[in-house]
Amino acid sequence: MAHFGTGLLFAVLLSGLAGCTEEAPPPPPVEAPPAEPVKNEAPPLEAIDPAALKSDDDAGLVPSVRETQKALDAAGLNTQLATLIVERDIDVRNQNLDNAAVRTGVIIADLLLTVKDAEKEKMVANLNKVKVGMTQLNGGQDIIDTIDDISGRVQGDAITRENLLKELDELSGAVIPELEFNGQVRVVPLIQAGSWLEGANLVAKACKQANNPAAADNLLKQPAVVDYFIRYVKEEGSDKAPAAITEKLDASLQVLKGLSTKEGSFTAEDIDTVIKTTDDVLALL
Amino acid sequence: MVGRLFALGFGLVLLAGAPAQAGDTSAAEACLRTKVWDGYAEGWGIRTMATTTLNLGGTRNYLVTLYKGNEYKIETCGDDHFANVDVYLYDLAGQVVRRDETSNRQPVITFTPEKTATYYIVLHARELAAGSSDGSVSMAVTYR
Repeated sequence: MAHFGTGLLFAVLLSGLAGCTEEAPPPPPVEAPPAEPVKNEAPPLEAIDPAALKSDDDAGLVPSVRETQKALDAAGLNTQLATLIVERDIDVRNQNLDNAAVRTGVIIADLLLTVKDAEKEKMVANLNKVKVGMTQLNGGQDIIDTIDDISGRVQGDAITRENLLKELDELSGAVIPELEFNGQVRVVPLIQAGSWLEGANLVAKACKQANNPAAADNLLKQPAVVDYFIRYVKEEGSDKAPAAITEKLDASLQVLKGLSTKEGSFTAEDIDTVIKTTDDVLALL
Repeated sequence: MVGRLFALGFGLVLLAGAPAQAGDTSAAEACLRTKVWDGYAEGWGIRTMATTTLNLGGTRNYLVTLYKGNEYKIETCGDDHFANVDVYLYDLAGQVVRRDETSNRQPVITFTPEKTATYYIVLHARELAAGSSDGSVSMAVTYR
């Protein structure tokens, strides 16, 4: 038994030695298949559950007043909204944030609507008011410098009205919505609310003038826009004492919300309601 | 074995050495701005412009109200970290109303609403350039 064990051990050792000394045949060279290029690609999107559709950015939700003018033209109303603007000396100085934002929004709307025809002095005066508004709202030095630059070129006749239009469109549609206003997230929606309200007021007046209330159906029924303003006017501002304009703005928006979800076409009475409720806010400016 | 170790090591070095690719915001914005400004000659005006950074497969949703009677063009410019950016227009029911059919990084869609309504514009980082981990894309809504 002992011999068998010794012999077995010896045999194992020998085979082990043999394994160490005998060269294993080299594996045949295998050509690696060409590497698939890494696809840095995602599948396309399909329909989305509406409950999962959420907006990451609402700043583009609100149509501009110039865009509203185009839609008014397309609706067959040949009224220039600029001709319906009520002359107001809107003071943006020494206002609280809400007031300054809404007032600045109204001035921006008037600027955009009158850019092609307004007298130079009026244009410069309005630009200066927007600058004061931006200062009040802590818009930052860059926007002040930009407005100063535009204003200087208007004064010096160094910019055509067509180019001025582009620059003001960009200022209101792209530059101001991107400003941080010292972290005050209400500022941009309130500026937009001021502009939109001025536009809604003028559109309603244009429909009344043309005796065509139903034309407002595709111009004033914007429930998502009204909800957006209400959210910022009411919820975001609930931590502070409401200013007179904000209170009136909220009341006005609630009326407009009711009308924007109304079944059927606008009536002459609806148009009068829009004019009155928006006038109520604008009269405070 | 050495070869495999080298490959693995080289791969790790490559991974470690690959910078987190920050999107080139200024390039995307400059590209879009040129397009939008050129559009004025054809009667287009700007509603809004915005820029965002997206990872592969990432999306950014913008809520917009579009008027009946106006024609809209949604223009985009992705920076060169992208190989393909997609842009979609969804209605509030989650259905695709328009989508771009291109495979480039500057897709455009046009749309003329039959009634005034609210929509979502969705930007989608469909394909990134080799070695990129994200990119910047600018989007503009224009109208006429």
